[in-house]
Amino acid sequence: MSYSKNVKSVLSTAAILILALTLWEFSIYILKIPRYILPSPSSIIETSTRYSTYLSENLLNTLAHAITGLALAAVFSLALSLPLAYSETVREAISPLLAGFNAIPRAALVPLLALWFGLGSLPRILTSFLIAFYPILLPTLTAMVTVEKELWEILTSFGASKKQILVKVAIPRSMPYFLSSLHMGLASALVGTVIAEMIASDRGLGYVILSSTSRLDTPLAFSCLMLLALTTFTLSKALGIVEKRTVKWAYRVST
Amino acid sequence: MEYLVKLSNVTVKYRNNGRRYLTAISNVDLNISPGEFVAVVGKSGCGKTTLLKVVAGLIKPDEGEVVFNEHFFNGSKKRIGVMFQSPLLLPWRNVLENIFLPIEIVGEDPESYVNRALTLIERTGLKGFEYSYPWELSGGMQQRVALCRALIHKPLLLLLDEPFSSLDAITREEMWSLLESVFLYENYTTLLVTHDIREAVLLSDRVIVMSGKPGRVKTEVRVPFKRPRDISIQYSKEFNEYVAKIKSMLSEQHELQ
Repeated sequence: MSYSKNVKSVLSTAAILILALTLWEFSIYILKIPRYILPSPSSIIETSTRYSTYLSENLLNTLAHAITGLALAAVFSLALSLPLAYSETVREAISPLLAGFNAIPRAALVPLLALWFGLGSLPRILTSFLIAFYPILLPTLTAMVTVEKELWEILTSFGASKKQILVKVAIPRSMPYFLSSLHMGLASALVGTVIAEMIASDRGLGYVILSSTSRLDTPLAFSCLMLLALTTFTLSKALGIVEKRTVKWAYRVST
Repeated sequence: MEYLVKLSNVTVKYRNNGRRYLTAISNVDLNISPGEFVAVVGKSGCGKTTLLKVVAGLIKPDEGEVVFNEHFFNGSKKRIGVMFQSPLLLPWRNVLENIFLPIEIVGEDPESYVNRALTLIERTGLKGFEYSYPWELSGGMQQRVALCRALIHKPLLLLLDEPFSSLDAITREEMWSLLESVFLYENYTTLLVTHDIREAVLLSDRVIVMSGKPGRVKTEVRVPFKRPRDISIQYSKEFNEYVAKIKSMLSEQHELQ
């Protein structure tokens, strides 16, 4: 995308956003909606600045757990995808178990995790890990096992073993899918951490949302939502940059 | 007779719907001598690709055997160069890295093949594109890279499966001259599978004509033209007589079915 086109698209997005916020702000005044039901944008911003230290502490706390969970999920998915891609027998034996596990609503596991590991960091990291790993594993594995037949044949006739085909073709081929699945993984990991914080924690933005709504401090809950959205968006963008740099071949970007 | 590869009585059956067997090729005998250029022609579905895959070791014959002459191969069946209809290059590797792939697979050091790779690149007219990626190249250029990749480890046997059929007519003729010159330089034993009779007559010493369903070797035609062959010989009377003769052999069998 050219520079001027880029600026244009940023400006138009900003314009739509400002228009929506203005509409929101005025409808609150005109319709006289109470703050505890739906706060106005200005009151959310005012609350965010008032609680800025408290909010940033809790945001960092949530992020640290979500990212640890995501990192674990990424490493685990990669490590597991190798034997699954290598052996059809292993794949056929384990895939149904993974799909079955994915069918359990992971949020329902939080009370159990809290029972086993207390209210500390572990249940939060584990929840984000458990929610994030399948969306990373599945596309990565699919990319590894769908190496074109002709490519498989030409490598075999060069004398390549199954392991060499995995290393030289399947793994590099799966990297764009792995990296793009991290976007899904990131969002899932944050969901996992926030849910765990709501159920079994006394820290983090999930906890702040729960405690503020129970006090009818709705602007504070909205501040948390806004922060979570902004953070996920920024991290996703950063991930996108890493992605374009490391697997530029997948985007056919000439250097 | 001294042979490099010998197929005796090779039969391949495909399992169709799990129960019925479909015979792809039946009782094929074929000797390929060292330094010989053999072309196999036949209609699509006549089993000629199956034949090539048997030689490449991708399909195990149900009956008969493929023997590689130990005197030349010395136990290493790996020294086979292969080129298919599509270039099948790895998009995350540049031209040079793609060419080194067979070297890495046999566990040798690509460093010691740099000079050979650069020579091949120059000979195939890819100079200046060493560090380009496949998607930056035209189809003809990608196929040149595939040819370099097939030749990098000086294969004892070169297997070509319709290598130029997806190219336009002009590029195809360029590839013919290129292959002719490469063949002269290094004298590869070559097995070419094609449905293009002109291509077979132009490039090969011997044309094997296959009939289909099941695939059998029907007959063979020796091509007497002296090398180096210029692609302009395809306009000569004698050349066209050979093409016509092979074409009539192919249509004869069609009428029989």
